[in-house]
This record gives sequence, structure tokens and C-alpha cells, in this order.
Amino acid sequence: MSTHAAITTAGLAKTYRVGFWGRRVLALQETTLSIAAGQIYGLLGPNGAGKSTFIKLLLNLIQPTAGSALVFGRPPTDAEGRAQVGYLPENPTPYEYLTGAEFVRLAGVLAGLRGTELEQRVTEVIGLVGMSGAAGLQIRRYSKGMTQRVSLAQALVAKPKLLILDEPTSGLDVLGRQLIREIILEQRRQGTTVLLCSHIIPDVEALCDRVAVVIGGKILKEGSVAELLEQDASGVELTVSHVDEATVNAMTSATVTASRLGERWLLRLDEGQSPAVLRRVLDAGGRVVHLQRTRYSLEDLFVRAVKESGRSVGSTVE
Amino acid sequence: MRARAILALALNGFRESRRNRVTVVVFAFAFAMIFLATFALGFTVATFERVLTDVGLGVMGIITAVLTVFLGVGLIPKEIERRTIFMIVSKPIRRSDFILGRYLGNVLTIYAIVAMMAVLFYAQVLVEGAPLRASHVVAAFGLMLEATLLSAVAFAFAAWSSQFVAGVATIGLYFLGHMAGDLFRMAERQTEPFAKLVMKGMYYVLPNLGRLDFKLRATYDDATSAAELLGATTYTLAYTALLLTIACLTFERRDFK
Repeated sequence: MSTHAAITTAGLAKTYRVGFWGRRVLALQETTLSIAAGQIYGLLGPNGAGKSTFIKLLLNLIQPTAGSALVFGRPPTDAEGRAQVGYLPENPTPYEYLTGAEFVRLAGVLAGLRGTELEQRVTEVIGLVGMSGAAGLQIRRYSKGMTQRVSLAQALVAKPKLLILDEPTSGLDVLGRQLIREIILEQRRQGTTVLLCSHIIPDVEALCDRVAVVIGGKILKEGSVAELLEQDASGVELTVSHVDEATVNAMTSATVTASRLGERWLLRLDEGQSPAVLRRVLDAGGRVVHLQRTRYSLEDLFVRAVKESGRSVGSTVE
Repeated sequence: MRARAILALALNGFRESRRNRVTVVVFAFAFAMIFLATFALGFTVATFERVLTDVGLGVMGIITAVLTVFLGVGLIPKEIERRTIFMIVSKPIRRSDFILGRYLGNVLTIYAIVAMMAVLFYAQVLVEGAPLRASHVVAAFGLMLEATLLSAVAFAFAAWSSQFVAGVATIGLYFLGHMAGDLFRMAERQTEPFAKLVMKGMYYVLPNLGRLDFKLRATYDDATSAAELLGATTYTLAYTALLLTIACLTFERRDFK
């Protein structure tokens, strides 16, 4: 059993030069990260945030400007090391003149499979992604969802220890998305590490053990989903009734907000203010219907991180 | 492992050309040959055999050159543009395996097409009652050598540049390569030492495609010695190896954005 983390990066950065004047685009800025083996790790970020750049650096598709990366202890330039990695790119475009089975077979051969094992794995993974019925058709006849499925099959064919999925559910219908989610969870059960890059927040929230929020080429937040949501859950939600509007308005401020729910009021406030607000409500003859810590979703966290960063899309241009 | 990956990519490239109907050029050649032979028959009497050989091999040469440039310069940039390459070079193979595999697939396709065109040409020669000579076979072999080298030129440019740049550069070198002999003769006549040096330098550096061209000899049934053929083959293989090394080295450092 390998003792290496699945992915380790130290100060990993990528800068592109674009345009006539060679302006510097900081696609990824000094990223230091360690992703333990056996978990589903999510990279969450808006378009152009640097997620795909990070993945390409891990796969030696681009060379880093600074820093280093290791995949199971081996640098991305080590071709043999990539035998442990399966990769599904964003909007994959496999060779359209091949049939689905031929393309997966080619991927298997390139990954080092041969003979009976190759044929068995091709049949298995094509079945796994629900493409057995269309495996003999040329890919040019596939829908986007079918292309996505067969591309996932090529990533799985050599039983990778690390599965890198870049927007795996994009373009899929509900059933397709459900299938991909099940495959990802099954891969984790089998001990595979999954690096899931997505801007579909419900997918990340439902699947990932840990998440990094990437914006403008930087990791702004990193941790387990529970930790991240806990960090931001410093507020309290108070539902009250039998309180008139004037009393409620007197309590509202920059840190206490109120919204009407029929006969009731929902007050959102910082945890430290809750004793004083509760006292005022009770003194005014009001009743407390419900009191709970504010529950943030990953989407709330993400939107807040984007707002704090001051950018919604793209890399940093110097 | 490397050999298997290269072979898989080569066979895949061959399959790509077949399924994308590249072989349709053979049918175009067949029609061109029938038409031109009929045309030539009407205008020539004594030199019919020469005209038939000249036209047949000439058309084969043009088709081979166009096909070699078209396939050679487009293959890598197209894979990068479509991002198909992401799923291939992220596998446990070296980028040089990709270049070599795709190159072999490309030349295999061109060899097959040259062979098919040659068979059609020989059949035409026999149908018209002319003798089939060894020089005809040598000329077709020369076309294969030229395709081998020109394809490597295309790959050497396409490994680091766009399809347009690679196309212009390869076509330019094709014409310069066929004028290499003239360049040497011009250098010999030069009185200016610097110009002489530059011209001779270009002669030695540029691929000498004239050395691989046996079409005119076939027209006049001028025999080619085994030593000449061996020299041309060795020259082609050495130059091709050099160009593919350059292609592999530059491709190794290329970013796929």
C-alpha cells in the first residue's frame, strides 16, 4: 500500500503570456495542496478560475511556471506514473470515426492493457456506463451524453487509482447525472481517489469529502464540506410570532434582518445578539416558535467567496 | 509497451484515413488517368508510351504531394484544437510515442494510396499495349520516399506551430527541395563568395527532394542503379529521423491550453 498522498502540490503556478504585448495571465497562483488517497475531492469555482489548469498540470498537459506537483509520489512528467490515473476532460471529443468500443480499446492499449484482460475491461466499463447497446456505433453518431459516457469509460478502463473528472455531468440528462454520481461513489468504495472538478454545486456537495474553492487562480477556501459550512455558520435564525411590525422594525439593524412569513417573522442575526433580541421579543409579548443556527449551503459559501474575491469569472491578468 | 502504443496509434491513424474516405483520391486518380490517356492517344503517335508514363507518374506525384502536405500538417493541430489529444497524451505514453505513432499511421496511409495508384497506372500501361518497365516501379518507390520525408517535414512544423504556418512552410520546402539541384548549379556559377556560401549551405541543409524523383527517368526508361536507390533510401531515412527528433523534442515542451 502506497504511503504517498494521491496528489501533492507545492507552490504550483501557471502563467500564460497572451496577446501581442505578452500580457501575463496568472491562470494558477502558488497552490499548495495535499489530497489524501481514497477520498472524493472537489474543485469548485466559476469558469476560468483555474480548475482545469490545475488538472492539466497534474497530467503534464501543460508545464508549470513555478512549483511542483506529485501524483502518488511521482512527477507528472513520469509517463509510467500516469498508468495510475484516469482522466475525463471537459467536453470530451474522442475520435469520432471510431466506435465507442474501439475508442475504449485504444485507451486500454495505451494504458498498458492487453489480451483477455483488455477485452474484459472494455466490455465491463462500457456496461458500467450503460453503453453496451451502442458500443458498435461510430462516435460521430453519438449524442453529447453518449459521448460523455464513453469518454468516462475510457478513463475507467485501466482501473485507475486516481480518477480526474473535469465537469463530468455537464451536458447529461437527469439519469445520466445520476449514473455518473453512482459510478463516482462506487469508485470511492473501491478505494479510488476522485478529483472532481465542477461548477455544479449540488454535485460537489453531494459527493465530495473535501472541497477547494478556486477563484481567480487561487484557492480561497479549503476543507471538508462540513468544516467549511460550519465556519460560515456563525449566525442564528429566530422565528417569532405575536409581535407587531413596529417592534420588529425597532430591532432590525445592519446585523439583524427580518422577513415576514405570514403571521410570523424570521429574524437572522449574529449568535452574540440572540439573548438581547430574545429578551426584547418576549418583553413585547411575542412567542419564540423556532430557534436554530443558520444552515448555509455550499452554494451560499461559494457565492460569498466569489463576492469577497471581487471577481465572477476569469484569471488574474497583469 | 512503447512499441505497442506506437503501433496502436499508427493503426488508428490508418483507420482514420480509411473511414474518412481519404482513399477517394485513388478513384479521382483513376478517372484522371483514363481521361488523360484517351486525350494523349488522340494527339501522339510515336511518343505515346512516354506521354502516358509522364502524365501518369506526374498526376501520381501531384496527388501524393498534396495528400502528404494536407494530411501531415493538419493532423496534430486538429487533435489539439479538438482537444482529443488530452485523452491520449494523458495516458502512460510519451509524447514522442504519439508523434511517432501518428507519423507512421500517416505514411502508412500514403504508401497504401501510392500503391493503389501505381497498380492502376500499371494496369493502364498494359491496357494501352505499352510495356511495364522496372523504371515505373522505381518511380513509384521514389514517390513513397518523397512522401516519407515530406511527411516528416510537415510533422516537424506542425509539432509547434499552427496548421497554416506548417502548411506554408511545408509547401515552401517542397518546392525548394525540388530545386535543390538548381540551387547547387547556381552556387557553382556564383562569383560572389558570400552568395556562393549561402546557396551551397541551403543546398546541404534543405531536403533534396530531386534526389528522390525518378519520374523523368521512367519516362525515358533510364535505369536506376541499386547503389543510387540505396543512397536515396538512406538519405530519406536519415533526414526523416532528424526531422522526427526535432518534432518530438519541440512537442515534448508544448502546452495544450
